[in-house]
Amino acid sequence: MATDKSGLSRRDFMKGVGGALVGMAVGLPATATAKTTQAGKSRVVLIRNQDVVLGLRENDADLLRRMLDEAMMSLFGLDSPSACWTHIIKPDDIVGIKTNVWRYLPTPPELEQAFRHGALEAGVADENIAIDDRGVLQNEVFRRSTALINSRPMRTHAWSGVGSLIKNHIMFDNPEDYHSDACADLAKLWDLPIIRGKTRLNVLVMLTPQFHNIGPHHFDEEYTWPYGGLIVATDPVAADAVGLRIIQQKRRLVFGEDRPLQPTAHHIALADTEYGLGNASMEKIELVRLGWQEDSLI
Amino acid sequence: MRKLVTALAVLALSSAALPGCGGQESDGSLTAVVDLLPEHIDTWTRSDSAVTYDRETIFDYINGAGEVYRSYAFSQVVVVVYSSADDPDITVELFDMGNAADAYGVFSYAKESEESGLGGGYERKGRVLCFWQDRYYVCAASEERTDDSDRVLMEVARAISERMPPASAPPDLVALLPAEGRVAFSERFFHLHQSLNYNYYLARENILNLGPETDAVLARYAPVSTFLLLAQYQSESDAAAAASSFKQGYLPDSGDSQTLETENGKFTSFEQRDRYLVVVLDAESETAANDLLQATLNRLTQPPQ
Repeated sequence: MATDKSGLSRRDFMKGVGGALVGMAVGLPATATAKTTQAGKSRVVLIRNQDVVLGLRENDADLLRRMLDEAMMSLFGLDSPSACWTHIIKPDDIVGIKTNVWRYLPTPPELEQAFRHGALEAGVADENIAIDDRGVLQNEVFRRSTALINSRPMRTHAWSGVGSLIKNHIMFDNPEDYHSDACADLAKLWDLPIIRGKTRLNVLVMLTPQFHNIGPHHFDEEYTWPYGGLIVATDPVAADAVGLRIIQQKRRLVFGEDRPLQPTAHHIALADTEYGLGNASMEKIELVRLGWQEDSLI
Repeated sequence: MRKLVTALAVLALSSAALPGCGGQESDGSLTAVVDLLPEHIDTWTRSDSAVTYDRETIFDYINGAGEVYRSYAFSQVVVVVYSSADDPDITVELFDMGNAADAYGVFSYAKESEESGLGGGYERKGRVLCFWQDRYYVCAASEERTDDSDRVLMEVARAISERMPPASAPPDLVALLPAEGRVAFSERFFHLHQSLNYNYYLARENILNLGPETDAVLARYAPVSTFLLLAQYQSESDAAAAASSFKQGYLPDSGDSQTLETENGKFTSFEQRDRYLVVVLDAESETAANDLLQATLNRLTQPPQ
């Protein structure tokens, strides 16, 4: 195969050359040659509760906070939420909580406040904590930040396959610069000086994920469902990979066939195979399941 | 496709002279476009303010999905809200896609169904109804779904449609697709390789030399998921160069043949004819690939009446 001419082609993925994970992302079977550049396994905690979702954009705040606490204790192997926060945040940190304001499925405000509370619990001064999305580059706290918390809901997206944790950092640069090839190179964002090495916690919100689009950009709650979950990890690629599998499985169930995302969310696999940002292969993910197990889809 | 290039050039000039796309006196001016949106539709009243987004500001409105519209000759979208005392608001987006082919193109981009009787065709999903007509792509979305949503959306859409130039037919290239075995509503009209990859991931690089000046249509064929791509280039030499690039980039091991069994056990076949390049992907057999290829080539020489 002349991969130098085609970059990575569909046939390369069929053959397992240079990225079987991407082949999975484009709807092709995995091959035995799949490898990642990550040395160890990534722990990912999937916690669910069937009572947390009260409606679209409406959640039980106390329950959501307890889910986050429990997931963090499992993720870090510590026995209290405050121990977890002091494990990842130091009192002299300047903390940016990167959320997502998309009006149909924003990061839940009650989760944002749980992050703020956690940073305060770790001893961070209130004025050194900020919550922002589109204004991060103008936000003085984010510009000075030493630690980031990254959280957003997962949803299908007409240009990148899914809106992911990896993609959520796009507002730290000019978004258009990352749009080529279905946002294939989003992982590059994570090497920007304002981001590199700072993201201490990633929380993929799966309370009411969106599994299908209407046309290029419209939304209808018909294509969401009350999954009642949070996916919590330090590895954003691993968290996204788990979320993506849940979305794809939901699509199989609803549509009655294996219907790949359009476009495919290959930026997640490429974050592993080309950028070494994290683990996208389930063989490299230690998935911890907490709470409600029914219809977990993974 | 020259229309797209021309539209982009016009847009660049008009944007430079008139930031924000306001106040233009051409047919594409904000005033002219807003005039397509009635002030009153039954009990609904249009908002006083119309918000306009152009090729640069579209991301402020719909984030990265704005690239879908930018992959066509899109020049601006006007967004208004219709309010009624007793019903949920209805947001109407009127996209000026620069030409009718591209209005069809964006309509076809992700369609799952299509109904006739409104503009050049419409699709209704959930609380959203979208149609294309002339060079416009219009979407009406109810803030909430009610028992009456379908009727209301159709009423609003019809009132807008009546103010527009008459509907036109889909691009000629679409009519060249063989009908036999074609999966309903699977036709996609576009220009860029990113759009091809959206529906059928071929390669990261643009090995078919697609671009703003090319037209392409992709469709799926039964009984299995075979894809047919028909691309039209500006010249025969451009088409020949694209064929050569495709062979080098995707089928370098095909020798003198233009058909090859790929690693998934399916067959890919291609042929250039005049300004056209026909590619069959993932056919179940060599015969099936060549039959679909030949059926398409036949239509190029004997186009439908």
